[in-house]
Amino acid sequence: MGLVSKPPARDLFKRYDDEEKAALAKRYTPAQMEAIEAAEEAIDPDDLNERGVLRSDWGSLNYLDDFSQMQPTIDKKIKREGPVDPEERLMTPEEYAQHHKDYFMKIMEENDVPMEYDNEDKPLNADIVRPNRLDMLKSWDEVPDTIGSNGPLKSESMLAPGIPRDFESAVEDPESAKKSEEDEDPRDPDGRYDLLIKQTGLDLNTIMSYQVKILVQHRVVNQTRLGKIASVYCLAIAGNRNGRLGLGQAKGQESEDVFSNARIQAIRNMQPIPRYEERTIFGEVEGKVSAAEVKLMSRPPGFGLRCQHLIFEMARAAGIQDLAARVPRSRNKMNTIKATYEALMKQRIPDEIARGRGKKLVDVRKVYYGGRV
Amino acid sequence: MSLVHLANVCSHLQNASKARLGLTSIPSTNQLLTLSLALQSAGFLSSVTRAGLTPPPLNTNTIYEPEPVTQDNVATRRLWLGLKYWDNRAVLSEMSMVSKPTKRVWMDVESLGRIVRGREAGFVRGLTRPGECLFVSTDRGVMEARECVERRVGGMLLCRVL
Repeated sequence: MGLVSKPPARDLFKRYDDEEKAALAKRYTPAQMEAIEAAEEAIDPDDLNERGVLRSDWGSLNYLDDFSQMQPTIDKKIKREGPVDPEERLMTPEEYAQHHKDYFMKIMEENDVPMEYDNEDKPLNADIVRPNRLDMLKSWDEVPDTIGSNGPLKSESMLAPGIPRDFESAVEDPESAKKSEEDEDPRDPDGRYDLLIKQTGLDLNTIMSYQVKILVQHRVVNQTRLGKIASVYCLAIAGNRNGRLGLGQAKGQESEDVFSNARIQAIRNMQPIPRYEERTIFGEVEGKVSAAEVKLMSRPPGFGLRCQHLIFEMARAAGIQDLAARVPRSRNKMNTIKATYEALMKQRIPDEIARGRGKKLVDVRKVYYGGRV
Repeated sequence: MSLVHLANVCSHLQNASKARLGLTSIPSTNQLLTLSLALQSAGFLSSVTRAGLTPPPLNTNTIYEPEPVTQDNVATRRLWLGLKYWDNRAVLSEMSMVSKPTKRVWMDVESLGRIVRGREAGFVRGLTRPGECLFVSTDRGVMEARECVERRVGGMLLCRVL
């Protein structure tokens, strides 16, 4: 991507050549041309180059738009090149059906029934007898849908010109997909993650790449009139090491099931956590659950994770690299973890605070180093 | 100048923003007026108006002309403060005294600078939480601690606001 590895500034932002100047001179008066040239001179290309930085701060959009596809709900309809035809109208359903019929008849005449045609084998016939499903999809792209003064017209596709229409993959055999599903993955032989995969749409590679860890496990007892019923309690954390963290709790009789349930709950509960510069937190935050109080403090780059083991694990799973923490009161493991999670989630973002107060806020670290921090 | 009114105002503003009030009133004194104006310029309050025991008419903050304060009506004057909310949270959520009526805390610029940078100075905790402000009463009026450092003036610490 051209924005990351940068060629010299002058190559990117060229001066107007004589041809372009002549073209501009046709449109603008000499005084305006002078102003344009003065303005061109006034802007330093190095400066322009520095500012074309991919933003990663809180005000940036969470996607990179590549503009290779038109989105019908957002983008304007593309206009056809050339003059507008005032007579142009949408086809009536009958006309449209007629055009489709002609299209298919033409394909049918051009492609005879092949030799290997078998009356019995229905799935095979679906593909070898033309028109097949592929022709059906292509027809949407090729059969005209409006009528102008000089006959039928095809309205512009929402796909940008030059984008290959990948119809072959759309009609790909679903049977091969079915087979791969049935294969048992050695990383998850018992299929513990199957339901999670089905419900969340994650794949096993992603799930395995998460850092999942059981931090608390102990026996709990329910006293009934029939006696004590013991079960296992478990608290797990899951993080993608890049700003998402979740807690999962489970309780039950069989410890294996309990652990895997807790892990799955943790993955399911993963939430994005605000991070400053993707390495530390915003200022100082406090969390409190029951008597366990946790105070997390942001620290400069290279400080490391100087905090107790539970908070260390959580910070590592969330992808926080610089953090200090105090746990001044109760150090109950379960409540410490919950309080840490609460503290991480309730961080106040400086940009939001500034907007609430009606102030303008600029992070000077992003200005001093050319936005490269 | 007693700090008792200020202590009450700190609690009252916290309570009022927890109760999601749009407008509230505090006693009208010069100290509270200058503090309110400093809070307003820091963006914590939407309006500061001096009026009687009933609030000024709604939506007239820009054109409202307060009655002049006379000896007859001075006892009934109140400061009416407009509270702000953003993103379903109160903009002013915490406000606590630093100087107490029985123990004032004065501070010079060097110590204020340390506090502004998030360090502790003279048993006063630094401004470590994002958006935290400390208001200081100086001989040039009530100012935010960062502004004090910029202008090289020290003074008596009044309250910290978040």
